[in-house]
Amino acid sequence: MDFLQLGSYTFSSRLILGTGKFSNTTVMLEAVKASGAQLVTVALRRFNRDQLADDLFSPLKALPGVTLMPNTSGASTGAEAVRAAHIARELSGSSFIKVEIHPNPQHLMPDPIETYEACRILAREGFLVMPYISADPVLAKRLEEVGCASVMPLGSAIGSGQGLATAEMLNLIIRESNIPVIVDAGLRSPSEAALAMEMGCAAVLVNSAVAVSENPPEMAEAFSEAVAAGRKAFKAGLMPKSSSAIATSPLTAFLGANP
Amino acid sequence: MSSLPDWLNDDRDSAKLAAMLDPLSSSTLETLAAEAKALTLRRFGRTMTLYAPLYLSNYCSSGCAYCGFASDRKTPRRRLEPDDIRRELSAMKKLGITDILLLTGERTTAADFDYLQKSVEIAAHEMQRVSVEAFPMSISEYRALADSGCTAITIYQETYNRGRYEALHRWGPKQDFIDRLETPARALEGGIKTVGLGVLLGLSDPKEDALSLYRHVRYLGRTYWRAGLSVSFPRMRPQTGDYEPPFPVDDHSLARMIFAFRIALPDVELVLSTRESAAYRNGMAGLGINRMSIESRTTVGGYHDPEHHEKGQFEVFDDRSIDEFCSAMRAKNIEPVFKNWEPVYNGHVEGNSTILQQEKTEPCL
Repeated sequence: MDFLQLGSYTFSSRLILGTGKFSNTTVMLEAVKASGAQLVTVALRRFNRDQLADDLFSPLKALPGVTLMPNTSGASTGAEAVRAAHIARELSGSSFIKVEIHPNPQHLMPDPIETYEACRILAREGFLVMPYISADPVLAKRLEEVGCASVMPLGSAIGSGQGLATAEMLNLIIRESNIPVIVDAGLRSPSEAALAMEMGCAAVLVNSAVAVSENPPEMAEAFSEAVAAGRKAFKAGLMPKSSSAIATSPLTAFLGANP
Repeated sequence: MSSLPDWLNDDRDSAKLAAMLDPLSSSTLETLAAEAKALTLRRFGRTMTLYAPLYLSNYCSSGCAYCGFASDRKTPRRRLEPDDIRRELSAMKKLGITDILLLTGERTTAADFDYLQKSVEIAAHEMQRVSVEAFPMSISEYRALADSGCTAITIYQETYNRGRYEALHRWGPKQDFIDRLETPARALEGGIKTVGLGVLLGLSDPKEDALSLYRHVRYLGRTYWRAGLSVSFPRMRPQTGDYEPPFPVDDHSLARMIFAFRIALPDVELVLSTRESAAYRNGMAGLGINRMSIESRTTVGGYHDPEHHEKGQFEVFDDRSIDEFCSAMRAKNIEPVFKNWEPVYNGHVEGNSTILQQEKTEPCL
């Protein structure tokens, strides 16, 4: 079997689902089920211990076969993310932590410096650290060195639906990485998820594309199928791409036969 | 007299907004609505973040011509004491509220900084997110407020037209146009995470004010790149002071303004309060607006003892209960979100503070 390995955890699904932006909890849970995702992320700021109407944590925790990965969305510094990770682990019992540090609440781009510092500390503390980062090949290696369980570079700006705008950098990250590379953010369509998997990503994380769709469970299923197809294609090996047709009169004919 | 800051006349990227605000523009209201809806959905999903105001005090030292709490009004004056605040918070929590806006008038001895800071501490103990709409403060006061658990402040310029501003603000500290203009920047310098801006629609030329407001938001975003920014659209309603707004803004003009702001500032929070009617708020939900107040009382207190009727700062037009409001949102396929913050993210941030700088004993790799 072809499993996604994160720390000591193995998952047969390579689709990770985000849980924000849905119109209600019931639809969100239906989408998680339809996606077959075994790992879902939920923002600590959406844990509501006092009022269960909009709490995302409790209903997700009750879903069988699903591992929770709390995230630190809302943190603007490494120190805040570390504190949030401690609270999230205490509340959820999960060792996974998706480190999201976006100091600019408008464009939500991840802060590489604060992310690095937070990941270094959290990995040492035994968390399975999953950092959301810009598609930066050097940062990806630095995070691998400090013990992250994966790196999660963005395909394009969060929620933008611009797809794999960072494809060139993603290819570099995938080529050099010894830990799973998971594309997180920016995907709009299942075909983009399939493409990410064909490129060699270990998994993809999708949220807005499913939550904002007119039929989230259907869209979740479509992403699930696309991720599986992309992975299968990657394993089978894509035929090499050539930028030009092979000339019928070879350009090197003048060299004669190779001795 | 202090001169106006350069950014107030910086029109380098406001041409598109100006065109959209023009009722004779080529963009019809319907076209703008569709674009605003798509952008809101993309950025905020199918959610509406909720908060509720709590008036701590109606003492005031200023003479704003339009305000029911101006210092020359005969309105009975009152402030909540710590035990009153705890009772109000407890009643609000029972309603499910976790995100609260604390309000006072302009600075007075009855409701000064120490009183406000103590109130923030009490509220931060009970609530998940505390914002303040009070009086202009110094950077060090904002820093202390942030460390007491204040996440955001709201400070409306009311109008960016200096002449109109000075005519309307007849006495008291709020007379100082420039000081108020510089207040959001001081709050951000002090480490407040989010500032909310707005103009009181009806006081002056709305298009001119909207453009200045936009420039203010853009200036703050460029200068304080970590700043959370939100814009509200308070519209003059009949006040307890019987002030007739000289530049009334009708429903269509307000809608056009909200759509145009969403398009021009796709990632900024746009807020609509209970000053607007239930029908208008239902209609605007998701069409640009992503944050709304609920269960508003504009009197001092009012949650613990809702039968206690006195005149508030302004009249609430949407007086639906939380359940009624949430049902209406759900019918529009929008989830009402009561908690969208975590107090662990509070406290002021020193510029470029990494953990390495904070934890001096950490070995460098």
